[in-house]
Amino acid sequence: MNFEPVIGLEIHVELKTKSKMFSSAPVTYGKEANTQTAPLDLGFPGTLPVVNKQAVIDAIRVSNALHMSIDHELHFDRKNYFYSDLPKGYQITQDRRPIGSHGYLEIVVNGEKKRIGIQRLHMEEDTCKQLHFKNFTLLNYNRAGTPLIEIVSEPEIRSGEEAMKYVEMIRSIVVFSEVSDGKMEEGSLRCDVNVSIRPVGTKEFGTKVEVKNINSITYVKNAIDFEVKRQQEIIESGGKVIQETRRYDDETKTTIAMRLKTDSVDYKYFPEPNIIPIKLSDEFVNDAIASCPELAESKKERYLNEFKLNDYDASLLVSDKDISVYYDNCAKLTKQYKILANWINVDVLSYLNKNNCTINEFPLSPEQLVSLIAIIEKNEVSSNQAKSIFNKMVEEKCDAQKARQILGISSQISDESFIKNVINEVLDENPQSIKDYKEGKDRALGFMVGQVMKKTQGKVNPKMTSEMLLKELENR
Amino acid sequence: MNYRGLSIDELHALLVAKKVTPLELAQEALALAKKDSNNAFEYIMEKEALDFAASLTEPEENNPLWGIPFVIKDNFSTKDVPTTGSSNILKGYVPVFDATVVEKLKAAKAVAIGKTTLDELAMGGTGTSGHLGMTFNPYDRKHERLVGGSSCGSAAVTADGFVPFALGSDTGDSTRKPASYAGLVGFKPTWSRISRYGLFPFAPSLDTVGIFSRNVKDSAYVLDVLAGHDDRDFTSSVKPVDEYAKDIEKVNPKAKIAVIKGIVNSISNKVVLDKFNETIDMLKNAGFTVDFVEIDEKILSSLFPTYFVISCAEATSNNANMDGIKFGPYYNGQTFEDVVSQARTNGFGELIKRRFIIGNFALMKENQKDLFLRAQKNRRVIVNAVNDILKEYDFIYCPAAPSIAPKVGEKSDRLSNEYLIADNHLVIANFAGLPSITLPIGMKDGMPFGANFTGRAFEDKQVLQIAYELEKHTGLKNIVAKGE
Repeated sequence: MNFEPVIGLEIHVELKTKSKMFSSAPVTYGKEANTQTAPLDLGFPGTLPVVNKQAVIDAIRVSNALHMSIDHELHFDRKNYFYSDLPKGYQITQDRRPIGSHGYLEIVVNGEKKRIGIQRLHMEEDTCKQLHFKNFTLLNYNRAGTPLIEIVSEPEIRSGEEAMKYVEMIRSIVVFSEVSDGKMEEGSLRCDVNVSIRPVGTKEFGTKVEVKNINSITYVKNAIDFEVKRQQEIIESGGKVIQETRRYDDETKTTIAMRLKTDSVDYKYFPEPNIIPIKLSDEFVNDAIASCPELAESKKERYLNEFKLNDYDASLLVSDKDISVYYDNCAKLTKQYKILANWINVDVLSYLNKNNCTINEFPLSPEQLVSLIAIIEKNEVSSNQAKSIFNKMVEEKCDAQKARQILGISSQISDESFIKNVINEVLDENPQSIKDYKEGKDRALGFMVGQVMKKTQGKVNPKMTSEMLLKELENR
Repeated sequence: MNYRGLSIDELHALLVAKKVTPLELAQEALALAKKDSNNAFEYIMEKEALDFAASLTEPEENNPLWGIPFVIKDNFSTKDVPTTGSSNILKGYVPVFDATVVEKLKAAKAVAIGKTTLDELAMGGTGTSGHLGMTFNPYDRKHERLVGGSSCGSAAVTADGFVPFALGSDTGDSTRKPASYAGLVGFKPTWSRISRYGLFPFAPSLDTVGIFSRNVKDSAYVLDVLAGHDDRDFTSSVKPVDEYAKDIEKVNPKAKIAVIKGIVNSISNKVVLDKFNETIDMLKNAGFTVDFVEIDEKILSSLFPTYFVISCAEATSNNANMDGIKFGPYYNGQTFEDVVSQARTNGFGELIKRRFIIGNFALMKENQKDLFLRAQKNRRVIVNAVNDILKEYDFIYCPAAPSIAPKVGEKSDRLSNEYLIADNHLVIANFAGLPSITLPIGMKDGMPFGANFTGRAFEDKQVLQIAYELEKHTGLKNIVAKGE
């Protein structure tokens, strides 16, 4: 029997707003435990939620990027349950009326475009972080109240590969629109996956298994691939898939059962009485959208159409927001877009990889990098020289002129008559080499170029030199 | 030294004339509090009050609350002062912040002298369910009668004359009902007129800060300080505030008053009815129009169940923070469920556990439509019916309670109209968020009883004005229980 996987994703994105969703405590990462809190974050009696405007703007931006319809009236609800990580005994979320609904996202898999439906996007607050030990649990409320958006896809994803592309796209959107740093490893983008399989051609859904808290994009794919295979083997051997929650274990590359999922928990939702519905004016919504930083997709379009980059270069530049911003800043200073893209995609990236750092830690400012492009543009140095200059620039954190000075690389001489004179000088001094060349010894040519370089301290344009030398040799 | 029972105006005059100091007033109020026989205090703020009062040396002529002592219901958060909500689950809890109203009164230099008892976490109307036991009605020195609740301690302390005003809270009638039983003015302003930041939530869609005083103008003085938007309470209104005390005498002489027939008809107590009718005549004689109007009896008898479902549902969620992990006694357990269930089982009293269960039941998926959502819809029906009346009339006027303060354990028929309607109609103002004020209109067997005006949303000023007007005619102001 052929099976078809049915996959739906729930993605939680932590917003990087200054303050929390409903309190004035700062949103930070990695600070000392329980220092980034306001009374509300710990559920102190009598505290009240105040909606964070920036979080609403962020939710609107992402909803818009996902082609969703945006509710112009904000409604919040309470989700009631007891858990040790939940300070108030309820979570403020949006149940009845999510801010975004009915959207989609286009992914490209194996060169083909596919549209994945998105059911809803809603705002809510994060819980506190728990550290479990054998006999006790530590609670860190720094995270409690951090604004979250939850993005729920339709069950229209059909493979681990598609899921991976989907998460990559969502990540790109939240990072480029500057609503989140999208770091899965730090938990600012968290992914729960629902997987079931069904015989190809059937409409009914199979029993759904949820894999929770997957913290890397590769793991999303691995978890789904494993889960699909596992479920298929169960059904093929006559068994039944159990409805349960599992987790992904990277060491074994498998999913591991955590708990049975019986009838879903009754969260006893009801409208949050401390936040009366908030009307969003068209102006507010439109401003939020209009002021949204440029997304990867539109940046890429711009690179292709305005800067005439190829697809490879453009895609590579927008795969990292900060790099694309760096590129944009450089592109304001030069028109050599292609050369610039090459330098960033090759030399700068390789520097970053080698030094394991981000573009924000890259030693050269856009102005400095562009000073190198300017020299290359004028054909003043050879490409090898350019690389040496680049390395020196990075080392000294200086511009190209300074690096060239240090290296003693003066401008290439491209004066034809000058080069011709030197060539003829060399030819006159080396009749044996001319003879060797005429007899087919190619090595002689290299020797003569070297002699020209030597006489000029390497200042002549090597390309021109070789070409002119060939010409002069013919005259001899 | 005897300033007991004086009004804000009287005390203010003495303070400004430097005939008494804030410190002396605080000392007297504290001395009375220590000898309190009504079980009205959770905590006496002796050191805090003395320190603060001592710092008040230059009288502020234009600040009527300067140096005036008051008490705070113990469900308002007070920084560095224990706040229990009269519940064992909060025993030992010392808040890190002041409620906005506390902060505002402090800024106005009124002197808090203590925290007062309430029905546990403000859930209840008898003043008997707090963890310290029953709070007594100061008018009944035999200690047989309730003072009513949930703001029982604030009512008792004010009625006994220790302080001229007190903070209460009002979710169903928790300020206005005890006011009726204790011969007080009990004022519930418009919902959202006063910040609720720091008020322990019972049912936020109904909760309102309440004010007790012994005359109408004193409540106006307090509202002058408390009213206004607060950035920390998203629901607090940005509408401009009025000058409540300054304009207290400017009642609209042509105001129209509606008396709801079904409410009056559900009362059997002849003394209450006669006195009430007398006040109607007073109002008519003063030139106001008073008409009897109808509200469908079905709507009236649905008030209590509707209230109970909504308030219990909200309450169960609001108090879910008290789980023994952050708040409440910590009992060790194998799982967090163990910890939570032990803390809540041991920490809460029986009555409110019952409310939590009812609230949860009403919110369950399978019941929500039949109970919670139905109650919400019915709330809309009730609000519409009341607002319809208020389109034509400026005020609704009714007896605040069907009788004087009942005795402990006195049984009432919970399915009778007297209970369902006459004993619970004040909740109408909570459903609709309307300003509503109770004031004394008569005495029976030495026990006071009151009537209530409710007005349009944000017409707090007008409600104070009409009450002030009636108070002039009844002459029942600044009455004090003055027991020993």
